[in-house]
Amino acid sequence: MAITITVNGHEHALDVPSDMPLLWVLRDVLDLTGTKFGCGSNLCGACTVHKDGKAVRSCQVAIGDAAGSSITTIEGLSADSQHPVQVAWIKEQVPACGYCQSGQIMTAAAFLTQNPDPEDEEIIRAMEGNLCRCGQYVRIKKAVQSAAEAMQTKGATTNG
Amino acid sequence: MAELGTQIAQSQGNGRGLGRRGFLVSALAGGSVGFGWGQLPATGSSGTAQAATAAPYSPTNLIEIDASGVVTVNVTKSEMGQHVGTAFAQIVCEELEAPWSAMGIHHVDSDPKWGVMITGGSWSINWTFDALSRAGAAGRISLIAAAAKQWGVSADTLTASEGRVSGGGKSISYGDLVASGAVTGAWSEDDLKKITLKPAGSYKIIGKSVAALDIPLKVNGTAKYGIDFKTPGMVYGKIVLPPTRNGATAKSVDDSAAKGVPGFIQALSLKDPSGSFSGLVLSIADTYWAAIKGAALIKVDWDAGPTAHVDDAALVAEGRRLQADPNEGALWVNDGDAIGALAKASNVLTAEYSTGINLHAPMEPTNATALFADGIWHFHGGNQFQSASVPLVAKAMEVDVSKVVLHQYWLGGGFGRRLEGDYFIPAGLAAKALGRPVKVVYNRTDDMRLDCARSPSWQKLSGAVDGGKLVALTHDVACGWPSNNVFPAGLGESLDKKKVDVFAINGADVWYSFPNHHVRLIDNKLAEATVPPGYLRSVAPGFTVWALESFIDELAHAAGVDPVAFRLAHLDGAGKNAGTAPMSVGGALRLAAVLKQAVERSGYGTKKLAEGAGFGVAIGQGQERAAPVFTACIAEVSVNKKSGKFSINKLTVVYDVGTAISPDGVTAQMESATLWGLSLALYETTTIRDGAIAAANFDGYTPTRISQVPPLDVSFISLGNFPVGTGEPATTVVGPAIGNAIAAASGARVRSLPITPAKVKAAMA
Repeated sequence: MAITITVNGHEHALDVPSDMPLLWVLRDVLDLTGTKFGCGSNLCGACTVHKDGKAVRSCQVAIGDAAGSSITTIEGLSADSQHPVQVAWIKEQVPACGYCQSGQIMTAAAFLTQNPDPEDEEIIRAMEGNLCRCGQYVRIKKAVQSAAEAMQTKGATTNG
Repeated sequence: MAELGTQIAQSQGNGRGLGRRGFLVSALAGGSVGFGWGQLPATGSSGTAQAATAAPYSPTNLIEIDASGVVTVNVTKSEMGQHVGTAFAQIVCEELEAPWSAMGIHHVDSDPKWGVMITGGSWSINWTFDALSRAGAAGRISLIAAAAKQWGVSADTLTASEGRVSGGGKSISYGDLVASGAVTGAWSEDDLKKITLKPAGSYKIIGKSVAALDIPLKVNGTAKYGIDFKTPGMVYGKIVLPPTRNGATAKSVDDSAAKGVPGFIQALSLKDPSGSFSGLVLSIADTYWAAIKGAALIKVDWDAGPTAHVDDAALVAEGRRLQADPNEGALWVNDGDAIGALAKASNVLTAEYSTGINLHAPMEPTNATALFADGIWHFHGGNQFQSASVPLVAKAMEVDVSKVVLHQYWLGGGFGRRLEGDYFIPAGLAAKALGRPVKVVYNRTDDMRLDCARSPSWQKLSGAVDGGKLVALTHDVACGWPSNNVFPAGLGESLDKKKVDVFAINGADVWYSFPNHHVRLIDNKLAEATVPPGYLRSVAPGFTVWALESFIDELAHAAGVDPVAFRLAHLDGAGKNAGTAPMSVGGALRLAAVLKQAVERSGYGTKKLAEGAGFGVAIGQGQERAAPVFTACIAEVSVNKKSGKFSINKLTVVYDVGTAISPDGVTAQMESATLWGLSLALYETTTIRDGAIAAANFDGYTPTRISQVPPLDVSFISLGNFPVGTGEPATTVVGPAIGNAIAAASGARVRSLPITPAKVKAAMA
């Protein structure tokens, strides 16, 4: 029986084993390769996507358990790379090899939605699960701070 | 080759010309990156109709200037986080006098026409700067000549700037000149050599922190890595891990249980004619998930091979045994008579230093896809050393090197892992056996346990001091030699006319002036047989500098001299340490200068420290003496003398980069290299057990995470000297600087990496 999920606003009916991790459905079935395989064990964060708005490790979500949910991947975070986190990532020149960055960005975006005005320690705690082998952490921290500021300014403008 | 590239592009539903293959590893300044070549902005007035018809002009094969004025730099180096293409484009742009927005980069596939293709050793900038500068200048000269001819004036009356040639009240864009077909001129090596390049100090774009061209693709999921490649008819392969890293044989393979997995196809037991793999068994399936599930159910009767008994202790014992034999090893440095001087000296200090096995573990696990088309084996996957990987893969496939092409991608981390081409072989042999394209993805455990890891090292140093100066130093290094595994042709010759792996001993040939200095490199064959070693970021200096710079501190302590003053006393820039133009001009005096800057910035010697805190210093030359990146690190730490727990209060790192091409790019590389050094110094470790690498994932092998990043102060000196590469140097000095700081703060001298609270506590007892 087909499993139905919505990915980046598009509904898909999938004929795949229900234990197949969401990661491999995204990458190998739906060709959404922006979501990366790093460890397969919830240890590196490279495969982070949003499930119903919350950051999850797609290597740990069986597709059967994602049935009916709404998934957002890096490809769907914004239409034009203009999400404040993406803008901040460019401004601070964060990516080096870039392989972990989809996961870093998705983690940061979900975190800032929940905590728009984070303390530095909260940023560190939120990003701790995302490994960056190139060691771009100084820039990651700065970019999350920068995105938070931009989102607050934007929010203030909208509200005001 | 071009035809086939187009075929592949078309088979993927892409358009003409460069197609998808073209922009997978290409990017353009001016904001159109990530949308392919069809939407390039017109930078001249020529329009697209002419752009489509006039051939681009190439003064050398490194650059192409097209009829719309777009300049594409063919980047022969791999992009793995260093933004090398951006720096290359800046170098070309400077001499070509093109507008930055017209600059684009294209990372090329393996082809003999590019010459030696290797990305490592922090060599990209220093080995390419001259050729790229001359290509840009040749382009400018040819464009000016074309305009001069068109207008019937002397070229001397014309100037080039921002992509236009102007003079005598006239002006024409580069694009229009190319479109007119008037830009000609082939440049011989001799002609190129005759060009006078701009002097440092007159640069417009070199020295500017431009936005890296690859970054926009890396924030929206469009950057394509090797692991993202897909082709029709492809099946997936998952490694069935042998019990040992090397030398195992699959006596029999039973895949009957795996046949129950939907999508599982079969197990494959493969022989590798290159000898890179023994016991190569793959689980083949329609999806990678089915291959993973199948692999878990495949039963293999293994012969674990001759190294099944080897562990860390056995490798240390072997290193010790070899070192004790004076006939073992190759002589690398022999200044004065160190052995004789030590025999006569009183108070000889001796210490043993060691490092364990270290893994690359790039975030993109090793992977490759192989497919056969039109008589050529095509391999898709990022690689750092095409010139060695193509012959290796050809040997495995039993075809001529001309029948193998490696297609380049963005690399999800290199760190030296992708200098070795072994990971193409499982996909290639499986594709050959099955007659269809195969993509083999190592899972994290496969990636770690089949790594061409950095060999464990065991080192012994002896020295003596007198009157505040070094009398003599001997330094013996025993380890597995990576070049024996990866690139035997890269072995050099030692002073005593033996083979020597410079990549196992670099860094021990310091820029200090020592009257008597003896360095010997010993080949630990047992280490090589157990875990075939590879090159890991900064390579030998990652362990030689750890031992040497820690021991220098021990000698300074014995001499009763401050460690910074002790070092400066030996950095006189005399004799062989005066340096040679262009790369090492200034020599040891530049090393002294970075040390002094680090002292000043860190507050070493002036800042009042709390009880239990201390400063430690270490200096180095980057990856190799001939192309030095003079580097200093000062660590400030606090140590709890009861528990041995310590914290890093600050790391101050200074480079002399000669000339910074992109200052922010240099800063990023310095941050990265510093944290890699920290990671190896404190957090990364595994063991060799029963001939296998023990770590299975990022819980057993634990690189630095964001919470472990200390305050960093990175800065560099850029005084117009020859530019050098910046990706590695800091990795070598962070460990010894921290070790020296801990010793200064607590008296605890730790002589093995990683430094842990338990080792600090034990060293204080």
